[in-house]
Amino acid sequence: MLNKDSYLLTRHLSDAEIVRSADGELSPQRSAEAKAHLEACWQCRARMEEIQATITGFARAHHAEFDAQLPPAAGPRALLRARLTELGSEQRTEWWKGAFWVGFSLPRLAIVCVPLLAIAIGILWFQYSSQRDLTSTSVLFDTESAPNRSLTPGATRQVTISDVCSAPEEEVVGDVSISLRQRVLQEYGIPNARPEDYEIDYLIAPRLGGTEDIRNLWPEPYRTRMWNARVKDALEERLHEMVCSGQLDLHTAQHDIATDWIAAYKKYFHTNKPLPLSS
Amino acid sequence: MGLFDEFRCPLLRYSLSLGLSIYDGEEVVQEVFLALFQHLHLGRSRKNLPGWLFRVTHNLVLKQRLANQTLVQRTAGDASLAEEHVDPTPSPEEQMSAAQRRYRLQSVVQALPENDQHCLRLRAEGLRYREIATVLGMSLGAVSISLTRSLSRLVRADGR
Repeated sequence: MLNKDSYLLTRHLSDAEIVRSADGELSPQRSAEAKAHLEACWQCRARMEEIQATITGFARAHHAEFDAQLPPAAGPRALLRARLTELGSEQRTEWWKGAFWVGFSLPRLAIVCVPLLAIAIGILWFQYSSQRDLTSTSVLFDTESAPNRSLTPGATRQVTISDVCSAPEEEVVGDVSISLRQRVLQEYGIPNARPEDYEIDYLIAPRLGGTEDIRNLWPEPYRTRMWNARVKDALEERLHEMVCSGQLDLHTAQHDIATDWIAAYKKYFHTNKPLPLSS
Repeated sequence: MGLFDEFRCPLLRYSLSLGLSIYDGEEVVQEVFLALFQHLHLGRSRKNLPGWLFRVTHNLVLKQRLANQTLVQRTAGDASLAEEHVDPTPSPEEQMSAAQRRYRLQSVVQALPENDQHCLRLRAEGLRYREIATVLGMSLGAVSISLTRSLSRLVRADGR
């Protein structure tokens, strides 16, 4: 008659126990028993090696089957970042609306709104005082360095890398026609803006495949803002260099500049504020 | 973004192994991480996020497959495996032998019941039995039985 320890040592391990042992899924006690048995039993050890070799073979086959198809992560990562930013801003808006309509009674609303209104009037007065030379509409618009995405989502033409990198800048950028310029200004509600205050800029630069299309043009302020047209020109130059040197794919460059050019500047220049311009 | 960098490839591989195209797979992975953002934003559990990611991926892939109504047939490309995926270091004979072995194992896997394939693929992506059980809505014992059954078939086909 065998005692329990002898029984455990002489009883061969089942395939299920071997698989679970290889996967580290046995209980600590059973794992110790299985280990003791494996040390003593050639037959079970050989079976264990057989199963482990197959596991290794399958894991390699699984990776080999799909890894060659996986595209680089840079594009999907940039897309996800843009979507998360959008989602984050939507949720902030929803929270704000919810706070007003659900959480606040009328007297509380008044307590919150009156000081806010006073602050807003103060800010507007400060802007008016410091920029008297600008028209009132352009003062309001000048607070925006980014285009309105519903008016200017960006538009591209079919181009290859060699098209983008071989053509000189002057061949791809023509002057925006006066009528198109006027349509863009009207669309943004500033038909009387002065030419020296705004550049009618391409959201996706022509040298990155952008087109002269109203969906790809917006009035970008030159003055007063940290993130102005000249800073964006520097970003376009940087992206063009990166695309043509193979450090960045064209689609990612187009996507990043169209989604949020300021975020793209920070990302590709590794800085949170514009670098001093060289000229 | 750290989680995205760590899990994009495993989740994408798993999506492809369930028959999605690369385009649909990328879209599913994007949806998974948007859902993760919402999940964390709502202050829900951070326990076992890898298991959570695979569970949501699995569900979205099934939904996508239903929407597509046709499974992508992956068998057509398999005949060229010997040429496609070869390790550059061994000799040509060893490369051919390794490729043939991979082809043999993949053929066995594709002949397994779908749930057994899922268990095996999730295990190959590093999930523990408990996580696989959660992803697929199975008991722990059923996962163990499934993996043992699949591996026994693979060992037989491996001809060792």
